[in-house]
Amino acid sequence: MYPILLLVIVLVLYGLAYVFYGKKLLEQRVAKADPTRLTPAYAKFDGVDYVPANKYVLYGHHFASIAGAGPIVGPATALAWGWLLPLVWVLFGNIFIGAVHDYMAIMASTRHGGVSIMTISESVMGRKARYIFLIYVWFALILVLAAFFSVAAATYEAVPTAATMAILYMPLALLFGLLVYRAGLKVKSATVLLLILVFLMLMYSFYAPTYLTYEGWVIVLALYSIIAAALPVWYLLQPRDYLNAYLLWFFVALAVVAPLLVPVIGFTGPAVIGFAATGALLGAPAGTFPAGQYIAWFWPTVPLVIACGALSGFHSVVGSGTTSKQLANELDALLVGYGGMLTEGAVSSLAVILPAALVWDFASIAKSAGISLDLLLKAGIDVAKTPNILGFPGAPRFYTAYGFTQAIAWSRVFGVEVFPAFFTGFKTFAAWALTAFILTTLDTCNRLARFAWVEMFEWLKPKTLSNPKGLSGYGVLTNRWVASLIPVLVGGILAYPTIPGVGKPYIILWPAFSGTNQLLAALALLTSTLWVYAILKVRGGPSALMLIPALFLWITVTAALLVWLVLIVPYLPPLYIAGAGTITAVSVALDLLLLALFIRGILLARRA
Amino acid sequence: MFFGEALKPKELLGLVITVVTVIILLYEAFYVNLTTGGIGTKGVVSTHAALFSASFLLILIGPWLWLGEVPLAVKKIIEAKTGTKAK
Repeated sequence: MYPILLLVIVLVLYGLAYVFYGKKLLEQRVAKADPTRLTPAYAKFDGVDYVPANKYVLYGHHFASIAGAGPIVGPATALAWGWLLPLVWVLFGNIFIGAVHDYMAIMASTRHGGVSIMTISESVMGRKARYIFLIYVWFALILVLAAFFSVAAATYEAVPTAATMAILYMPLALLFGLLVYRAGLKVKSATVLLLILVFLMLMYSFYAPTYLTYEGWVIVLALYSIIAAALPVWYLLQPRDYLNAYLLWFFVALAVVAPLLVPVIGFTGPAVIGFAATGALLGAPAGTFPAGQYIAWFWPTVPLVIACGALSGFHSVVGSGTTSKQLANELDALLVGYGGMLTEGAVSSLAVILPAALVWDFASIAKSAGISLDLLLKAGIDVAKTPNILGFPGAPRFYTAYGFTQAIAWSRVFGVEVFPAFFTGFKTFAAWALTAFILTTLDTCNRLARFAWVEMFEWLKPKTLSNPKGLSGYGVLTNRWVASLIPVLVGGILAYPTIPGVGKPYIILWPAFSGTNQLLAALALLTSTLWVYAILKVRGGPSALMLIPALFLWITVTAALLVWLVLIVPYLPPLYIAGAGTITAVSVALDLLLLALFIRGILLARRA
Repeated sequence: MFFGEALKPKELLGLVITVVTVIILLYEAFYVNLTTGGIGTKGVVSTHAALFSASFLLILIGPWLWLGEVPLAVKKIIEAKTGTKAK
């Protein structure tokens, strides 16, 4: 297989899906989007969370929030099955589940005043469903925080130049917001100015590493997520995410250009290694029984490895959390929701799986590209020690493959002697891009955990206006800082220790985060399907096209989580049995309750 | 409200934090890096790395306290669209 062929297949599939499945079916026949309907961003404007945004700014925010470590680390880790099976799952999940789920969550929320998918569940499944959903989401978000703290901290520790860029990027994003919103500079002028500054800073950061320990980064990231989640969206989130959209496009554009520069070099990686991988893929610590057993069957356990690249329940919380509150026009939702998910899939397929498949066997790819092993060694890749891409764990596997592919492609233009410098440069860029997406996810995630927390305690809300804080403790419990601190504290504790036999905790946390996240996607898609069926009264084919993938996903993820709970969790260190294991077990129990309420909701809607 | 009128205590604090943070950022990113070849020391938590990473957090707080209310430009759009006075 040649990279250019894969590139064409992916782009054609996504183009067809956007036009026929997204626009013709979902927008026009199911949601019936109306550009004249006033959206919650205007109707409920508050200057903090409800603020209308330009559709491209919102696309940037939505994409940056949904694309954390998921679309990158997951598919990179899943290469243990070979490159073909993960690719098929990404494309299938993306088009038929993930993008549908994201778009419908935004539309349902927009029609309900910008409320969360959890609150929408109340209108179709009853009050109990809403509270069960809220508790489930809150737990799932803690696991997102824990896994992402760990991935970002490990990346900053391993690629210290990326850490410098992340720090220098923050004031630039704020400057962009201040120039546009306060100084009245046109968006185009401010964009050009800032992109030049970002580029200069990126170049500079290649020569400016920031050395901090893994534990130090976990603390910094935890504090960051508390502060950033409390800030008004127009101040940090909108301008930073708008700039991040350019980062993303540049990142994906490079991934698209590279195959064009190496048209005659074929993949060096195996399409399929096997249908089952060892338990280590699911986080079993080295030396324990499951670590060496082939128990990571592609089906059903793939959702424990590949999360957001294919689909993600977190997106419904983002879509109905921060995105729907900023949507200026219902017609913008297709680009933002459906398009955002397809873009995320493109990151997984073109920027992660394709480069890894190409450079998989280092000696072989070096020979095909005319690069000597000495030059590889100069670039920091010792073929004797690490013969192939599987020698690196998830996140380093991604930035090594991405950097390597780019360096090969561009060294064909500038000469092979530039390979080591280009490899370092593109590796830093890839690592920074990964953490830039994680940072946006961290603060959006904490903001959403705060929303969920506040909604969870709504029943304590004082009924009288004369005593708004009340004696019930509602004021204290739902205080912005208290609500932000609790999930970060739990997530930070799980992310902090380095574990013997495993390494960084994200390796253990990943299956728990990914599994609960995918189950959330199944539940959110079931809720959206019920909303379409019961409220929009769309019956027959279109609603079946949502229901069948949702049920398939629900069965797959539930089975996968049971495999993980039974075969892997008993071998984890006590902190992770008590933390990730308990949260996951509770999540499965809540999931079963929600399914029962969904079935009841369908039966009631049919009778109505 | 950049410098045109008297600052409230919160805004003044924000301005001070912003200025100090920008100085730290520039000092660490350029002076320290160019003289020592990096910010901090591998494997330990050094003062330079701690200061530089703290500036990452302080730069979020300073300008927010200093200039943190909803910008006039955003308010005007909302008022025009909804016909009511924005917060």
